Amino acid sequence: MTRRVVESAGRRLSLSNLEKDLYPSYGFTKAQILEYYRRIAKFMLPHLKDRALTLKRYPEGVDKDFFFEKRCPSYRPAWVKTADLRPDDGERMTVCLVNDLETLIWVENLASVELHVPLARTGSPGTPDSMVFDLDPGDGVDILDCARLALILRELLFEMRLACYVKTSGRKGLHVYVPLNRKETTFEDTKKFSRAVAIIMQKNYPDLVTAKIAKEYRKKKVFINWAQNDSKKTMICVYSLRAREKPLVSFPLEWKELEDLAGQGDPERLQVLHSEAVSRAEKQGDLFREVITKKQRLPYL
Amino acid sequence: METRAPGRIPSKPPSKRESEAAVQGIWSGTISFSLVAIPVQLVRAVDSGRVSFRMLHDKDYSPLQRRMFCPEEDKLVPPDEIIRGYEIGPDRYVLITDEELESVSPERSRTIEIIEFIDMEEVDPIYYDHPYYLVPLKGGEKAYRLLVEVMSRTNKAGLAKFVLGEREYLVAVKSAEGALALITLHYSEEILPDEDISPKEKKIETEEKSRIKQNIKKMMSDFNPEKYADRRRKKIMEILSKKVKKIAPVEAPQAEEEEGEGPADLVAALKESMRKVKKNR
Repeated sequence: MTRRVVESAGRRLSLSNLEKDLYPSYGFTKAQILEYYRRIAKFMLPHLKDRALTLKRYPEGVDKDFFFEKRCPSYRPAWVKTADLRPDDGERMTVCLVNDLETLIWVENLASVELHVPLARTGSPGTPDSMVFDLDPGDGVDILDCARLALILRELLFEMRLACYVKTSGRKGLHVYVPLNRKETTFEDTKKFSRAVAIIMQKNYPDLVTAKIAKEYRKKKVFINWAQNDSKKTMICVYSLRAREKPLVSFPLEWKELEDLAGQGDPERLQVLHSEAVSRAEKQGDLFREVITKKQRLPYL
Repeated sequence: METRAPGRIPSKPPSKRESEAAVQGIWSGTISFSLVAIPVQLVRAVDSGRVSFRMLHDKDYSPLQRRMFCPEEDKLVPPDEIIRGYEIGPDRYVLITDEELESVSPERSRTIEIIEFIDMEEVDPIYYDHPYYLVPLKGGEKAYRLLVEVMSRTNKAGLAKFVLGEREYLVAVKSAEGALALITLHYSEEILPDEDISPKEKKIETEEKSRIKQNIKKMMSDFNPEKYADRRRKKIMEILSKKVKKIAPVEAPQAEEEEGEGPADLVAALKESMRKVKKNR
């Protein structure tokens, strides 16, 4: 194993196996992963801040076994910020908070290619700061169907006076986020609301949409996964890489862009690669900013 | 995520935690003594084998929930009105707060520090509480193998204190067929007194003794646990498999299908909004 010690903000980091190719069918080494996260950090860190990180580690590469790690590894450097979670029904645990660049680089050195975070911050675990619609295409439908659905969903939410933002999942689907950022909101509220939305979408577009969790209903349908609005669930963080053949990113899109892309009919054009992600973010800034700042109230609850 | 799989009964009671635990383990850290530290993960060694059932409402097969009920006021008690009391006599309690309980909760162990080695034979099985395995993590394989081998050859076990969940346990770490097993042990104060159990009988006749000895000898065999099975569990699983094949399983109402699940105003507003969306398209 090769090691290299680097220093950042006065903190020493021992990086290992930098030359290891973690995306073998594409060719993307751990060094390149670290470089991607270093450059995207400015945009990504506000979205990771104070959230219990779930590491999804691919030590042997994205085509090999992975494992989830919710607990912050005990061999962490002393400067890694952590939080102690005390779920009502579960075991207590210490989780990592990725609040700075050095911690981000440290978790990436653990080959945690994907970063998953809950919709609430650790200080207020019952208060989601956004509501999410996870549009997950079943067999026989693709990201273009998700795009068409997202555009309808956006109009429906707009009629309810709610602004929403969209990102690619970096896999096959899209994620629509409704910013809330009010301490009065609970997961019970977001679940109730999102479920009602999913059902009305299913009723009106029965050939395209299912709101049912059971897998057998998902063929040729886009599953609107409202059940992600739960304190126990996590979402892939915006700007996280995904472990697929290529280093694709869960990346925010403008609605206008989604409209154009949906019209063009090429599902591949909706996917954003690591290099494009960095250059676009540097040019346009963080399109997901409002998700963690804009205050909105869910009506009729 | 919960999934329904009609037509198939899983051999084990399905549990969300199970698949996760298989990968993630219950705990990870290091096991250490003197200068050796081996990174390991704790995994379960046994499954309770119990077939568990959900309680359903016979009218619509909804899974039922448990709620706290106050018989005095004849109503359900919300979680924020529930506190803990230790019963010291009929209707007399000492109250204890979450903070007080928390203040005595041990901190999570990062290492299993072996404090002494003992002969495993000395430990009366009555002290065995629950078995786990320790799995070596990357970089620890060699030291792990060495420890397993030495322990098995000498039939020694390491004693350690270890915090799992909210409790600190005394644990024995011993070798078990090429692996390390960790057994949580009962504290001696948990072992119930046994003075009154063995009868204080007079002398037993020699003849009687040798007859029993002979009978035991005749029935001697090797320990083959595979020969035995939980017959009740097997029969229950058989009944369930047959039922799944012959009769369609009942389905709980899919809450998400019911409009009534959302507040009426919200559903009405959504309907109206949807009508507008469709008109504009």
